[in-house]
Amino acid sequence: MTPGTHSRRRRKAARASRIIESDQIHPPEGVPLTLPVARTGVRFSAQILDLILTLITLIAIVIILSWLELFDDTTISAVIALLFFFIRIPYYALTELAWNGQTFGKRLLKIKVVAHDGGPLTTHAIVLRNLTKEAEVFLPATLLLTFSWLSGWQAWLAIGWIAICLLVPLRDIYARRLGDILAGTHVVHLPQPVFLPELAKSHERSEKFSPDFVFRSDQLDHYGAYELQTLETLLRVGPPILHKQRKRYANTRAIVTQKIRTKIGYAEAIPENKQEAFLRAFYAAQRKHLESKQLFGDRRADKYHAENSDGKRQ
Amino acid sequence: MSQNDDALRSARFRAEREAKWRNLEALVSQAETRSTRRMGYHDVRNLVDLYRQATTSLAIAREISLDKALLAYLEALTARAYLTVYAPQTPVGGVMWRFFSKGAPQALRRSGVLILLGVVCMGLGVLAGYLLYFENADWFYVFMPTELAGGRTPEATTGDLLDAIYSDTSVETGALGAFASYLFSHNTRIAFLVFGLGLFLCAPALILTFLNGLTLGAFLALHVERGIGWDLGGWLSIHGVTEIGAICVACAGGLKLGSAAMFPGMRSRADSLRHAGHDAAKLAIVAAFMLIVAAILEGFARQMVQDMVWRYVLGWGIGALWLSWAITTGKERIS
Repeated sequence: MTPGTHSRRRRKAARASRIIESDQIHPPEGVPLTLPVARTGVRFSAQILDLILTLITLIAIVIILSWLELFDDTTISAVIALLFFFIRIPYYALTELAWNGQTFGKRLLKIKVVAHDGGPLTTHAIVLRNLTKEAEVFLPATLLLTFSWLSGWQAWLAIGWIAICLLVPLRDIYARRLGDILAGTHVVHLPQPVFLPELAKSHERSEKFSPDFVFRSDQLDHYGAYELQTLETLLRVGPPILHKQRKRYANTRAIVTQKIRTKIGYAEAIPENKQEAFLRAFYAAQRKHLESKQLFGDRRADKYHAENSDGKRQ
Repeated sequence: MSQNDDALRSARFRAEREAKWRNLEALVSQAETRSTRRMGYHDVRNLVDLYRQATTSLAIAREISLDKALLAYLEALTARAYLTVYAPQTPVGGVMWRFFSKGAPQALRRSGVLILLGVVCMGLGVLAGYLLYFENADWFYVFMPTELAGGRTPEATTGDLLDAIYSDTSVETGALGAFASYLFSHNTRIAFLVFGLGLFLCAPALILTFLNGLTLGAFLALHVERGIGWDLGGWLSIHGVTEIGAICVACAGGLKLGSAAMFPGMRSRADSLRHAGHDAAKLAIVAAFMLIVAAILEGFARQMVQDMVWRYVLGWGIGALWLSWAITTGKERIS
């Protein structure tokens, strides 16, 4: 391996870790919080939604105006350009002002503009990032639409500008466009807190939770947090409503039960009506085991934990 | 409570704090929909308090719990609460009024020298264009884009030129159409370019302003030569004072950005640009607003006011209003 590829690989790794770090904010409370950065794809989709909304408004107004005969055919393109301009300029700035950094499209996709330093969004920042949108979003879009009319050097200039507008957010760790960098903002996914019941808790159907299932400590040494949480996902999904899918779910559950039984060496066979209870009991026991291990500094990420710690010891 | 429950530490941890988290969740959604300023004192205090407790809960949960759903819930809840506590909605009311009564005139005053530079540049352009035309009338074709002249070249007769000055074009195209086509005219494009190009180290903005002056000077010289200079002055004044003012303001905005990039001083270049962006954005909005006013004047007032003297009075009167707005409003008394 040449030193060139080596340093390139290291730079790539450093970039990847910075991208992961970009989702974290550090509030004065001293506990790092997670505010995942919205990247180019979702931001582009929100832009399209906003565009559709403004275009519908535009068409409605143009139809009303033409019905009132306020302009004739010779100036229709100028009027449309003017109206579009006067709809979109205030639309973005005013919605983001009123909804604290969300346009209609951003609300639908649950993303939000935040100040890069974690403080409140200032009016200046919102106005600036939406004025630069003219040059960074609408100008390239117009250039693309009118590309066939451009002469040689104009076409090259247009390609250059479009490339810059695309590459800046794709290369930036926070997926900021130039206007975001100028205004000191970036866009995040608005986290949605979903409160789900405790799985390892006894519930109404407590007879299902019979102490039939008792696991020895050595039976619980096989799995790590990853497998535990995968099992959690399966249990949380629960049996679906549709009959056909219900069958598939029961099938999956049977396979999972079988795999766990073989892995931990649980001799007793589990009838189908007790599989759910078995998995729940196993989940609770496994979680208790792993959590108490973790309290003593033995974090087990996955089922390879034994090999990994052995490897370190050697 | 069963034996099983008591044994699982993380489940107990969760059961003890659950109510507070749900309470915080309710307060956060309340703060997001109604803004914290309209919430009661106790609610706001509780919001901040519960937020701090939730961050502690999150830190503990990351250590002791393997419940993925709980961790995800706490992560989302604390991040959401963080935004309501540290990044609340800034008051929207009176944004427009604050801008026009304070922000914009203050920015204009701060950039007074740059605006003057733009005016001087334009003035020199006019002078050069004027003098060059009298040296050789062919310069007109160099300075003037053909589509802009619209047949008003040195070949046109004096009568044609006068007709163009005192014509009523709005009848054919409709009022709105006329307004639209004037707004998207040559000068708006120039203003945009002048502002945008300022970023590239000032020079393009100054050159473009100068070139625009050359066009104007040559156009003026053509009419002066025919002895209808005053009539053209009136025709230009009614919207031109505002429009050319807008170009000068846009030029100042461009220069502001360009000079920030060239002379960042003690700041880093990016930082200096960001700082200059505050005023530059305000200047851009002022320029855009002036261009809209100019288009209204050009589209409506120029057709309605056909008298030369009144055209002068209206054009320069509005110019004086702009100036007094920029000079007098938004002064803060230092006590």
